[in-house]
Amino acid sequence: MKKILVIDDEAIVRMSCERALASEGCDVKTAESGNAGINMLEKEPFNLILLDLKMPDMDGLDVLKIVKERWAETKVIIITGYSTVQTAVQALKLGADNFIEKPFTPDTLAAAVAEALKN
Amino acid sequence: MKRLYRRADESIKAKLIIAIGLLIIVGSSVFWYAILHKQKTDIMSIAVRYAASFTDYIKERTRYNMLNLHSSDIQKTLEDISLAKGVEHVRIFNHAGKISYSSSKEDIGKPVDKDSLACNGCHTEINKSPLLLPEQQKWGFYKDSEGFTALKFVEPIYNETACYTSECHVHRKEDKILGFIAADMSLSLLDEAQFKQGLALTGYVFIFIVAISISLVIILYKIVSKPVSELAYGMKMVSEGNLDYSVKVYSRDEIGLLAEAFNSMTRDIKASRHKMEEWTRTLEEEVAKKTEEIKKTHASLVQTEKLASLGRMAAGVAHEINNPLTGVVTFAHLLLKRVPPDSEDAEDINVIIEQADRCARIIKNLLMFARAGATEKGEVNINDVLNKAIFMLKNQEKFYNIKFNIDQHPSPLMTFGDFSQFQQIFLNMLINAADAMNERGTITVATRKITENAKPYAEIEFTDSGCGIKKEDMSKLFEPFFTTKPAEKGTGLGLSVSHGIVAQYGGNIKVESKEGEGTSFFVKLPLKEA
Repeated sequence: MKKILVIDDEAIVRMSCERALASEGCDVKTAESGNAGINMLEKEPFNLILLDLKMPDMDGLDVLKIVKERWAETKVIIITGYSTVQTAVQALKLGADNFIEKPFTPDTLAAAVAEALKN
Repeated sequence: MKRLYRRADESIKAKLIIAIGLLIIVGSSVFWYAILHKQKTDIMSIAVRYAASFTDYIKERTRYNMLNLHSSDIQKTLEDISLAKGVEHVRIFNHAGKISYSSSKEDIGKPVDKDSLACNGCHTEINKSPLLLPEQQKWGFYKDSEGFTALKFVEPIYNETACYTSECHVHRKEDKILGFIAADMSLSLLDEAQFKQGLALTGYVFIFIVAISISLVIILYKIVSKPVSELAYGMKMVSEGNLDYSVKVYSRDEIGLLAEAFNSMTRDIKASRHKMEEWTRTLEEEVAKKTEEIKKTHASLVQTEKLASLGRMAAGVAHEINNPLTGVVTFAHLLLKRVPPDSEDAEDINVIIEQADRCARIIKNLLMFARAGATEKGEVNINDVLNKAIFMLKNQEKFYNIKFNIDQHPSPLMTFGDFSQFQQIFLNMLINAADAMNERGTITVATRKITENAKPYAEIEFTDSGCGIKKEDMSKLFEPFFTTKPAEKGTGLGLSVSHGIVAQYGGNIKVESKEGEGTSFFVKLPLKEA
């Protein structure tokens, strides 16, 4: 079972991802901030992180840098309300595997996750 | 009102009339006096000549009686002569002054007045000196008791041979003068004639003065006063600002030339003023034009700022809504999987999903409006973008019944920007055009090169043959969420997004519309300067 961590300050987004991916047979855990997410990563390994870009305490891109430094194997999919090519390109340059735009359907999410984990 | 009648010290006419009038009066008076004087001296001279002739006559008449010493005959002769009109007295007295004969008998034997002409006409000092005056005065004028002029003429009776040889032996041979004949003659008739002549002359002079004065007034009025007054009035008019006033030119003399010069000067002033007013008007128009431009620019800035604020707010709201919308979409999909596919619940859930999708579309547009979208800038040929947009739409169902009328600028219209953003604008314009004419009609698309403020721009025209835009809607066209389309067709963001993008590139969008005839949108984008 693939272990997935959702880092987003919005509870409904975390819940949506959790429910959508649980029904796909994933083990989903959530963190409401960048710091909380990193703490969780330090405790246990995850196959994939769904990462929000805009969060109050730590920016998604900063979290991404840390993840890629310390847990290089972990896949990262960026969730963004800012569907801008610029931020997406920046995120991809920093090592993100893909990005999806809010709002997304469970199928889109599942497809993106499956695609990322396949590699 | 014309003030032709002025105080004497303010009027040239009055001054001239008074001066010339005085000269005429003085001249006439001198003339009058000279004539009268000459007349008087002439009359007196004649009177003296007559008096001389008269005394000669007496002398001749009494000669015989004198020689024969017929005293009573002499006396009788004198008395007879004195009866003639104008003869007052006739006396004969000896050298000692004793009256021998007189027309008035009572005077006989009396001495003559020694202070009278009878003595002092020849003698310097009576009784003192025998000296005689170098020029002896035989006659003199005086006023008689009635106030009339009288002439006294004294004629000496010289000793002659017949006198001292006469038998009576009264006179001695050595006596030079034997006596005198003195005649007093009244000149009252001459006085009267002279008075009448003087009166007539005075009358003539008076009539002459009046006639000359009247003629002078008329001549002065016509030649000087009237034109000068009119000139003065004209100057007053012009100084008060009436530049249409012109003075009538009466003559070719100096005053006429002055009037002409004045009229010419007035015309020049009028022309100058006209020119100045023209300049002022041009300046005012220029100021009004600039003010209007500033107003328009200001309004445009306000509009842009308004749209930018709205955009920022809309973007914030959109971003926040994305999160709950993610929940709605996700859970609706999860729920849909749990209900039988064709059940009523599935239909209801599909409605939720559709509406959530619509929300997602609106948000996407809003974010684009807020220019949150990514841009990839580079050199772009506007004609290419337009061709691609038309190509993309031509095969869409919406455009099946639409004819494109394309008139592109022959050379490439190169600009710098994001191809997809420009494409978005053009697609939006074309879709709006199709919607405006219910997907049936002609869309005219034209591109041209224009220059504004010495900078090159591309103008892209989209004209539809549709329903046109209502006047009251024109001002709201570019506001976000303003739409006249049905809810499922438009979000009301197309034009505001287009406006935002075009403004970002330093261009603008203009609209011309006639209700029932169609609408033209003119997109202006700056061109790359060669």
